[in-house]
Amino acid sequence: MSASDILLETHEVVVRFGGNTAVDRVGIDVRTGTVTGLIGPNGAGKTTLFNCITGMQRPDAGRIVFAGEDITRLAPGSRARMGMARTFQRLELFLSLSVRDNIRVAGDIVRANTGRRIDVEAETDRVLELTGLTDIAHRDVSDVPTGRARVVEVARALMTQPRLLLLDEPASGQTEQETERFAELLRGLADDGLAVCLVEHDLPLVMGLCSRIHVLDHGALIASGTPAEIQESPAVIEAYIGTEVVA
Amino acid sequence: MFLTFTVLGLVLGAVYAIAASGLVLTYNTSGIFNFAHGAQAMIGAFTFYQLQVVWGVPTLLAVAIVLGILGPLMGYLLHRFIMGGLRDTAEVTKIVVTVAILLGFVSLSHWVWSPQDARMVRMFFGADSYVSIGGVVIRYHEIICLVAAAGIAIGLRLLFTKSRMGVVMRGAVDDPDLLRLNGHDPERVAAIAWAMGSTLAVLAGILITPVGGGALEANALTLLVIDAFAAALFGRLRSIPRTFVGAVVLGMASTYLVAYAPSNWTWVTNLRDALPMILLFVVLLVLPQDRLRGAAVRTRERYEVPTVRRAAMWGVVLVVATVAFRQLIDDSSVGTLILGLTFAISALSLTLLTGYAGELNLAPISFGAIATLVAFHTGITGQGLDARMSLTGLVLGVLAAAITGALVALPALRLRGLYLALATLAFGGIVSSMVLRETQPRSWFGHEFALFPQGTIIVWPLKVGPLDLGDQDVFLYTAATIFAVLGVGVIALRNSGYGRRLAAMKDSPAAAVMLGQRLVRLKLSVFMISTAIAGLGGILMSMALSSVTSDHFVYTLSLSLVMLTVVGGIGYVSGALFGGLIAGAGFSLIVGTFNELGSAHPEHASTFSIISHLILVAVALVGVGVAHNPSGNMSSIFAGHRFLAGAPEVRYAAIGVTVVLYGLAYAGVIGTWTFGILVAVLWMALPALGLWLRAERLLPPEALAARRGVPLELVGVDVPYPDGFGGQLDRTLGLPARARRATPTIPAQAQAPSEEGESHVRV
Repeated sequence: MSASDILLETHEVVVRFGGNTAVDRVGIDVRTGTVTGLIGPNGAGKTTLFNCITGMQRPDAGRIVFAGEDITRLAPGSRARMGMARTFQRLELFLSLSVRDNIRVAGDIVRANTGRRIDVEAETDRVLELTGLTDIAHRDVSDVPTGRARVVEVARALMTQPRLLLLDEPASGQTEQETERFAELLRGLADDGLAVCLVEHDLPLVMGLCSRIHVLDHGALIASGTPAEIQESPAVIEAYIGTEVVA
Repeated sequence: MFLTFTVLGLVLGAVYAIAASGLVLTYNTSGIFNFAHGAQAMIGAFTFYQLQVVWGVPTLLAVAIVLGILGPLMGYLLHRFIMGGLRDTAEVTKIVVTVAILLGFVSLSHWVWSPQDARMVRMFFGADSYVSIGGVVIRYHEIICLVAAAGIAIGLRLLFTKSRMGVVMRGAVDDPDLLRLNGHDPERVAAIAWAMGSTLAVLAGILITPVGGGALEANALTLLVIDAFAAALFGRLRSIPRTFVGAVVLGMASTYLVAYAPSNWTWVTNLRDALPMILLFVVLLVLPQDRLRGAAVRTRERYEVPTVRRAAMWGVVLVVATVAFRQLIDDSSVGTLILGLTFAISALSLTLLTGYAGELNLAPISFGAIATLVAFHTGITGQGLDARMSLTGLVLGVLAAAITGALVALPALRLRGLYLALATLAFGGIVSSMVLRETQPRSWFGHEFALFPQGTIIVWPLKVGPLDLGDQDVFLYTAATIFAVLGVGVIALRNSGYGRRLAAMKDSPAAAVMLGQRLVRLKLSVFMISTAIAGLGGILMSMALSSVTSDHFVYTLSLSLVMLTVVGGIGYVSGALFGGLIAGAGFSLIVGTFNELGSAHPEHASTFSIISHLILVAVALVGVGVAHNPSGNMSSIFAGHRFLAGAPEVRYAAIGVTVVLYGLAYAGVIGTWTFGILVAVLWMALPALGLWLRAERLLPPEALAARRGVPLELVGVDVPYPDGFGGQLDRTLGLPARARRATPTIPAQAQAPSEEGESHVRV
């Protein structure tokens, strides 16, 4: 695949909660070798769309295509085995395992659930090194502060050797330096051909890191484009600043 | 006739509905599934009997006392002293605490109301007061049941939809903090719900006995929780209206079954008893899958996993200790010890399943029963006193337990752990009320035989080559060795990739799935391994007993074993040993000892009897104590002993004292009991003893400084700078750990918040 291939696409995805349309005919795409941002004010439907992509929420209408296959009705686990990995906004670490074992177990899972033969030990060490976690590898994961715990989740996701990495608010709880190092890591991963998609509130991070950005507001897609285009878009400015404030 | 049966079915359904709605109510407001719901109904019914029949209290007053005082008070007290303390504990802990209450109520009722005596409860207004509508006889009692159920249905509906209280109740589980922010008190709401739920249980208890024939029976009433649960499942434990529908379906089905099944089907009455349990499996099959939700909340349970080497060392210690202890006890006690060890093997199945994988099996002994029956029918060779069990029989029995485990677990695997726990309890009920009642020969696959001939089978000991368990000592040492080997095996499994995957599934199913783990497959495999172990334990238990009746597989035994294993520490192999020894040997030892004392001193016999009953009830209280120490006793003991790592000489001294005591016991200077108690006290008190003797080597510098009144910043100035202070400083400052060395820390210190940022774990 070349760097601009579309890996993931949503077509006209709709999710309703009762009478409330949380996601309204949204179509976005995520390309191989790039970092794509998904932003919007609170309640815009970012997380709901995210859950549709990972399979934790079934859309009421629309299609989701991953690597050329329609995965709309596929279970979350099957999507994971196809090469999709995610992190969680409210961290979901394995609290009875050490940092190293949190990452190692992802390799164990891949070995046991797919035909892929990976050298779990060597791969764990490589991922620890890559993500800069080697120094805390033997700590209890429950004692790791939030900022680095988010990196542990990314490292764990990387162990499955995914094609698409979905990150749910990865920068929340990180210090400024941690965010910087984190952006560096994601950029490197994208350069190696990984497709990264993140839901994030930290706009400077998104603007600096992403090559494409999709903006949601009230469930609808109001803009897609490069950071420069998004910053210029009147619809986005309106959504973020609001129109009630009359000059 | 059809109409008459329909009315009977409706009445039964009405009572089920009353019981089930109480269950749903407490579950939805406190998040605790109350396994003791039926036991509460039982206590209510027996109290009513005591008041009305024994003491002659007028019926109306008796009803008022039971429903107006006993029911609400029981619920309130349960919440106030027990359930309220269960926040932030794993589901397993919550289940075990209510199971402990169930056991406590059952032993309490056996104590006050001897199970040997028959008791009858009459219908309200008697069986002769009835109205006749179109030839259908409806008794007043039945009308009361129907009216009560209808009233409760309407009342609960109004409560939940119209009243502020009801709306608050619905929110109490989902987000107690939000409720608190809005000025409500979730604890008060939960207390009210418990009082109401308990009253509904009591009401169901006094209504159902006359409907079912009038004989008051503690076990049947206690198992009412399964009937209620089956009904509540129709509403997914949430919806009260659907629960009522489920209850009516259940009541009708069991009435029609008895009415219309051909009379030559002798097993129909057994089937009727098991019907709610069977229906439960059917409903489980059609329930939609749970939505995957993130739930990695820190619970208070904490387990350390030892290395395989360490485990192997302890395995050897166990076998040596068993051999040594055998020399101290007389031949008649060996059987009791063997029984304890076989229970411990069954309990190991729980260490793997519950401790490592977070799933629960409430009927390990029933799987042992299946294994025993298969081994009995396939493995006995030889005649008379030379008859022995063959290895083939043992293996087939273990396989049968694993396969049965798969069949029982499959319907519930897609669902949350609670459903699996209930499915296993229902399975235990089916084994007791159907399988173990197959005492007469019947044609099975073309062969004529009885599954459980005459209700008593002789399970001969195993003989493999030169190994003959017919010899008591050989059996004892073999049982200890099997436990040690399986224990090491279970720990090795936990340390493997498979074990890590189990831990991942237990800690965060959502994250495990999103890494590609197939949960159902993993749960199924671990459940099968676990039931295979339970099967092996069951067969060995039967061999130890030799003559086995259905009483040996009763569900309360399984529940005691589960509870005691959790008390010991479900995440530890030693917890299984503790639970098994107490459940298998401890009880009979204690009761036996007091009975002997009673016959030796007839003038104090009643006192001794009271003490032994008290101990049985107290054991349930110990189970309730799990709420305060959810990681189990072994966890506390280990924490204490880890703390001794800085002063190994304390342990060497303790080993020395133990050997000396053993010598004294061997020589007959002190008794076996004295020896056992002294050794237990010595090792449990060792951390405190060590602290007293060797404080300067065990305490971290801050604590030591505080003891001497030296401020921390003056350590190294006013007092010598101790070893290990460097490591302590490193950790506090968040510097990378140096090569591991034995740095003495007390556990609380190790968890001190680091200064890098707040911990991400939500408490």
